[in-house]
Amino acid sequence: MKTIKEINEKIKKGDAVVITAEEMIKIVEEEGAKKAADYVDVVTTGTFGAMCSSGVFINFGHSDPPIKMLKIYLNNVEAYGGLAAVDAYIGAAQPNEDPDVDIDYGGAHVIEDLVRGKEIELYAEGYTTDCYPRKDVNVKITLDDVNQAIMVNPRNCYQTYPAATNGREEKIYTYMGVLLPEYNNVHYSGAGQLNPLQNDYNPIINNYNTIGIGTKIFLGGGEGYIIGEGTQHNPPFGTLMVKGDLKKMNSKFIRAATMPRYGSTLYVGLGVPIPVLNEKIAERCAIKDEDIEVPIYDYGVPRRDKPMIAKTNYAVLRSGKISLEVEIDGKIVEKTVKTGSVSSYKMAREVAEELKKWILEGKFLLSERVGTLGKPENKPMKSPITLVKDILSKPPITAPCNISIMEAAKILIEYNINHLPIVDDLGRLVGIITSWDIAKALAQNKKTIEEIMTKNVITAHEDEPADHVARKMSINNISGVPVVDDHKRVVGVVTSEDISRLFGGKK
Amino acid sequence: MRKKVYYWTDSEHINKPVISDTILNTGVKINILKAKVEPQEAFLILELFGDEETIKKALDYLSKFGEVEEITKVIKRDMEKCVHCGCCITQCPINVIYMDDDYNVIFKEEECVGCKNCLKACPFKAIEIFE
Ligand code: SF4
Ligand code: SF4
Repeated sequence: MKTIKEINEKIKKGDAVVITAEEMIKIVEEEGAKKAADYVDVVTTGTFGAMCSSGVFINFGHSDPPIKMLKIYLNNVEAYGGLAAVDAYIGAAQPNEDPDVDIDYGGAHVIEDLVRGKEIELYAEGYTTDCYPRKDVNVKITLDDVNQAIMVNPRNCYQTYPAATNGREEKIYTYMGVLLPEYNNVHYSGAGQLNPLQNDYNPIINNYNTIGIGTKIFLGGGEGYIIGEGTQHNPPFGTLMVKGDLKKMNSKFIRAATMPRYGSTLYVGLGVPIPVLNEKIAERCAIKDEDIEVPIYDYGVPRRDKPMIAKTNYAVLRSGKISLEVEIDGKIVEKTVKTGSVSSYKMAREVAEELKKWILEGKFLLSERVGTLGKPENKPMKSPITLVKDILSKPPITAPCNISIMEAAKILIEYNINHLPIVDDLGRLVGIITSWDIAKALAQNKKTIEEIMTKNVITAHEDEPADHVARKMSINNISGVPVVDDHKRVVGVVTSEDISRLFGGKK
Repeated sequence: MRKKVYYWTDSEHINKPVISDTILNTGVKINILKAKVEPQEAFLILELFGDEETIKKALDYLSKFGEVEEITKVIKRDMEKCVHCGCCITQCPINVIYMDDDYNVIFKEEECVGCKNCLKACPFKAIEIFE
């Protein structure tokens, strides 16, 4: 048994034994946890990955005459200004105001540029008051010019993150990167055996051995502190809320990124030193990638609760490929697909190594926590959901393939509709006719329904959320989709009017 | 020398062993980087090895049965920008990106055919493709 105080004395004298969590695996394996606890003082951990819930509080100092800034833009990225006159919070995921730049230069990029010492354009407006007479201000600033730039990240350092695959027939662009169709890749994130929370976790109490409020950490290349549990904290999917001084950070460990067609995000390097106070702590610090279970979810299902495709571990994920048993076209098939990481294990290692160096050089002392992380809580929002079947007008108006164009035109007029699904004998969808197709048939002198109907029809399922169908229609620039059941039988049509009635009524 | 080409086999020749014939008739060595053969058409990415004359002969021979297009693209990765995340690895259709034992993301650049899939997936805009 040791105390943090004793360890700090050793650090000051340059006598402390400090190793990384990766090196600890071997030591515990070869010498046992008891022996390891005897002579290892500190285990350093690290992680480096996309952490969207990151941002910086900035105090710009007062202009003369002074302004109460309300709408604040840094290089055209909005920072939240609903605080005191010259305070703002710039969030990593905020897109650019310019729609052509959009997510290519967002809040994360502003933060990285600040760390790099680059000049940033500040534009702010406010309403005038007796004490703040100025309406707007427009100046160039650097990190040195502002008073404080304090990084406060509400959720960093996920202990484990579920991996992602995609069962859809098309590529999807997610915060887990680009996911190929038909489960053709698996993307994962997380430092696994190097992750700070993972190495300090105590499953018996579902809490952490040493990490807590006030733990001093490595954050973005500078010193930082854990200020509590992060949002959605729910061990073993624990998270941290952290703070650090942006002025002391290093652009090697604070990197702006853009997840294609998703958004801007900040890659943050974060490391926590774990004092090896006893055997139990030593043992946990030897946790290996293969011991850490990672679920894989189908991100192709755009719902909160996604189906789990498999359970695996970080060792398999890091091997580069994985075998999955998946259902494609109603058949269960086994396929081996490539895995790719979204976070960087190489950089996580560098974080742990850098922190180790600091401690060995006596530059970084450990702190005693003043409290444990708060209680787990990660429950869903009580949001109402509207499914396609809730807004369907039944029964469906459909027509067989063998009707004439004239008859089809009559149906459209008689029911005052624009979309007519064409079905086979069993009511299964084979195509769709719109009033535009009828007009085209006249203009081009086409004779049969077969010739003019659209065969590659974009459909909706009756159990799909209405929001999802609205997005499909707007992406494909169409005004209606037939709704089908599990057997491809047409059960109705959803039109853009149905959708706008639904969303219009909510406001 | 070596040369990379896209190759579309004409549909009337789809059932002929065009690649083997090219090898036998010209003595070229061929590495098939990617092949997509469908009833109506075939698309391949080939890497040809041999001296200049052999490669020329092989290209002439291949042209009789389909369309050849030379691949001249080169890939460049900015190592300052790359963080070795791995978002690009699974995107490569011919598997030239991988992670080594030290968790570095490695590109076998000489095998790249310049499809830009990795470029489009990289969150750090670390990749450029030149003609
Ligand atoms: S996605 Fe970009 S940053 Fe990540 S490993 Fe590939 S090239 Fe490097
Ligand atoms: S451009 Fe990228 S994805 Fe395409 S072949 Fe080259 S390395 Fe592979």
